[in-house]
Amino acid sequence: MKQTHILILEDAPIVREGLKSLLDSMRNVHSVSIAGTFEELMHMLECKSFQMVLIGPHYLLIYQSQIQQLRSQHNSIKWIGVQYSLFSEDLLNKFDGVVDVFDDQEILSAKLNKWLEAASDEDSQNRESLSKREEDVLRLLALGKSNKEIADELTISINTVITHRKNISQKTGIKSVSGLTIYAVVQNLISLDNY
Amino acid sequence: MMSKNDIHPDSKLSEILINYPYVILLLEHFDISLPVQDLSIAQICKQHNINEALFVAFTNLYCNKQSIPSLNLTSDDAITITRFLAASHRYYSEQIYPEIMQLIEQMSQQNNHREMKLVSVFFADYFKEVTAHLDYENQIFHPYVECLVERDKGIISQEIHINYSVSQYKDHHDDIEIKLTDLKNLLIKYLPSRDDRLIRRKLLFLLSEVEFDLNIHSKIEELILIPLAIQLENKFKAART
Repeated sequence: MKQTHILILEDAPIVREGLKSLLDSMRNVHSVSIAGTFEELMHMLECKSFQMVLIGPHYLLIYQSQIQQLRSQHNSIKWIGVQYSLFSEDLLNKFDGVVDVFDDQEILSAKLNKWLEAASDEDSQNRESLSKREEDVLRLLALGKSNKEIADELTISINTVITHRKNISQKTGIKSVSGLTIYAVVQNLISLDNY
Repeated sequence: MMSKNDIHPDSKLSEILINYPYVILLLEHFDISLPVQDLSIAQICKQHNINEALFVAFTNLYCNKQSIPSLNLTSDDAITITRFLAASHRYYSEQIYPEIMQLIEQMSQQNNHREMKLVSVFFADYFKEVTAHLDYENQIFHPYVECLVERDKGIISQEIHINYSVSQYKDHHDDIEIKLTDLKNLLIKYLPSRDDRLIRRKLLFLLSEVEFDLNIHSKIEELILIPLAIQLENKFKAART
């Protein structure tokens, strides 16, 4: 399963911490980070790949052009507005989605899954759809494992590993392990911390 | 029948160059400088003491014509070929690869996505592999071919035993084009961009240029030089038995 990392920028401590604790308890969320300022958010997006940013809608009014630029640079990230006071519908429509301060865990979870699914669908289309198994093989390969080690870890035969590798190279156009490692990082299949 | 586009000893180099600018790489590897006036291939070959048939065959490769005619080559041609290949090695290691490396550095500064750092490392590692490959040819295989030639011409004794053979080279001869294609794919399909359109385009053009030249380089090694070296080896073996 693809790793999901979420970044929050929100001024009100209760809202911020409340969101973090709700998200932390969700099964498919791997990490929730908090940015203190918009500058910090920009920096964090540089350093680590996130799938979702939860942000107070007023930031869109203040940092309109910066956010526009960030969205074009990191086009796979979903931008979600955190709403607890009145904002114009025009502004909220600019987000990929909105969480409301009255959303309970169930609603929040359903919304999140919907957005993440949409993101991963787009991803797999871009990726000439590597299969789930091919992604597993690629991830292990990028971590430096041998065919034998990959076979053992996924309990498949070495021949199957080789077939998967052939298909991966065919779909991506990349044959060398070091080239595939870069591909895996770009596609968020592994993070640089693993590498 | 010979068509207008066919390359033959009477073809004018200037006309070929206008249509196929990459032929300038061939001239450089033969150490021939522009301008070439209205000289024909035959005239240029005479000036530089190069076998016409060999020159025509190489030019055809640089004009995207894939097939290599059967050539009746001598040991002198083997020297011409190793010099040509050595010159192209210098073009790789002193010119185009450093240029590519510089652009990757520039792109990495412009586009500070974390993946770009990996690309820098990827290319630096690849450059080391290429250097090792070229060093092996410069230091072992080409001198070996020169030795075969000297023995063939009686410059050194037929009795001298050289502890090496073309088959060893064939085993050692690996493919150095794969990672270039990988990088092209990464740049074209995957690496995120940031105001790097110009650098990325320059980089892709350079990668295509070196890929083009390397492709012909391998063909010359595999389809012309190796068979010729084997022929010289066999001649010696036959003489001994």
